[in-house]
Amino acid sequence: MSHPVVPSDTTTPTGGRIFHPKAAEPAPVTVVGKQAWLKNNLFSSPLNSAITLVLLALLGSFIPALADWLFISAHISGQTQDACTGDGACWVFIKVWIQPLMYGNYPDASLWRVNLSLILLGAVLSSPYWLPPKLRNKVDIMLLLAFPFMAIIILDGRLLGLEYVSTAYWGGFSLNLFLASASIILGMPLGFLWALGRRSNMPMARSICVVLIEFFRGVPVLALFFMGSVMLPLFFPEGTNVDKLLRVWIVLTLFMAGYMAEVYRGGFQAIPSGQYEASAAIGLSYWQTTLLVILPQVIKVSMPNILATSVMLFKNTTFLMIIGIFEILSTAQNALTNSNWLGGFSTEAYLFVAVIYWICCFSMSMVATRIERKLDTSHKS
Amino acid sequence: MSTNLNNSNVSQGTAPIQAPGDVITLASLNKWYGDFHVLKDINFTVKKGERIVICGPSGSGKSTMIRCINRLEEFQRGALIVNGIEMIDDVKNIEAIRHDVGMVFQHFNLFPHLTILENLTLGPIWVQKKPKAEAEAMAMNYLERVKIAEQALKYPGQLSGGQQQRVAIARSLCMAPEIMLFDEPTSALDPEMVKEVLDVMVELADEGMTMLCVTHEMGFAKKVADRVIFMDGGEIVEENTPVEFFEQPETDRLQLFLSQVLQH
Repeated sequence: MSHPVVPSDTTTPTGGRIFHPKAAEPAPVTVVGKQAWLKNNLFSSPLNSAITLVLLALLGSFIPALADWLFISAHISGQTQDACTGDGACWVFIKVWIQPLMYGNYPDASLWRVNLSLILLGAVLSSPYWLPPKLRNKVDIMLLLAFPFMAIIILDGRLLGLEYVSTAYWGGFSLNLFLASASIILGMPLGFLWALGRRSNMPMARSICVVLIEFFRGVPVLALFFMGSVMLPLFFPEGTNVDKLLRVWIVLTLFMAGYMAEVYRGGFQAIPSGQYEASAAIGLSYWQTTLLVILPQVIKVSMPNILATSVMLFKNTTFLMIIGIFEILSTAQNALTNSNWLGGFSTEAYLFVAVIYWICCFSMSMVATRIERKLDTSHKS
Repeated sequence: MSTNLNNSNVSQGTAPIQAPGDVITLASLNKWYGDFHVLKDINFTVKKGERIVICGPSGSGKSTMIRCINRLEEFQRGALIVNGIEMIDDVKNIEAIRHDVGMVFQHFNLFPHLTILENLTLGPIWVQKKPKAEAEAMAMNYLERVKIAEQALKYPGQLSGGQQQRVAIARSLCMAPEIMLFDEPTSALDPEMVKEVLDVMVELADEGMTMLCVTHEMGFAKKVADRVIFMDGGEIVEENTPVEFFEQPETDRLQLFLSQVLQH
């Protein structure tokens, strides 16, 4: 450890002492490095060491069995359930049913339309990374808001002169993705409007927004789905037949908006009043203040909760099986009751659904963490 | 020039017309927070180019008074005229007054999600509808004047308190105000940073800006102010030139205040 050399000129011309700040030294090895991490996190006390060892033993006892079932003894070749013998997992089941699980009953010849919509979804979501910075803010939001309608046009096909595919054939995991993304995309701005309404000084706007928010937050999502599929048609004029999937989409969007409104409300409360005062002093109008100053900060503060709510909504799309929409979980159950596949493959089926969901939700939180870091401008550097 | 434009479509109230040369007139201004009478019958006028320092103990209503001038606070009785425009509920009048009045806050109130440059150009671009390039050139000009141009692309969180307050002053100046209000601009700063902000304010005063400044910096008051106002309990207790104010305070209340403020 080298100490900085004490400079020779230690006194000022007037006899005062010159202040020389000390140079920073590297941290000792007990603070940084792998060894220090192990010591601090896993073996910091006798009790912690014991817990670490017990957990390692536990992991060691079931990981080999799990790996054996998942991979070593598992079957993947073949086309029927007879291919699966022995104890391992039967991935043949997933292999054979993968198309319905992903695309539902969408016609084989038109599958490219589903794939195109999925690619579009990916492109729209990643647009902040590939759009030139100048276009980003404006085009991004337009693309996002347009996505649900573009996907509907492509999947439906009539407007483009393609073969018409009724929503009764849409299904599988792609439907979960489309419904979730379409409701999140439209629910977020709608929720923001409701949150603004709830804060408004106008009694009428405020009461309407409070009733809407509390209704869609207070009623279980399953009950909302039943209302959407059974009750909602009663309110439409006689003879109109509003598509079931469209009704479900509306219900999901309103549900999302109700939750988002409360998420934003928390964000609004975190904005200091000085931000409003500074905006007023500059002369910004109500909408300019809201959109240019307040909204970006509200979103930044609310990011963790926005993510949590989006994940919740995405997972809630599996409830749609109850009202007879062929999303991934109901397709899996259908496959399990198929007369050719009665060998008891429910573990494989549900594990597959769980893993797919987990991958999507985990990616969502990774993206959200990145966005959070990008939005964080408070750091000192 | 633009002020005249604004004046043409603002509503006229019943308040007395301002005397020529007066830019701010407060006539029997009263304000209540619920039952609490914060401002009691405030009367005073500010002439163009005047520098006024307002001091007094906390809770005396000094901040509330200057916040009334650009309608961050509403008052219940009396009249307020700024640059010939009466402060009434009409949005046109409020906009016109805010156009002429800039404000600097105790806690800077910069927009944390925007860079320094974007903080400065937000108003010119969205309120005054200036082209972006022009707004940015003007912003850089003001940043140079407050000696902080090299920080233009940083975010407020990366700057020291004194730098942030100088940015806040530049942000106000970008709107080309005729009157500047300062609400305890140095109270939230570390002692070492007070001077850099006061220097900018002195420079501004030397250029002839009309300034109303709530502050406890008595040195600044002595050096810059044309008039010093002492408030207590929601009233103007005393107003005088700095020399008279500090050397020969008339009231016992001001004598007590000065003896406590100037002791340390």
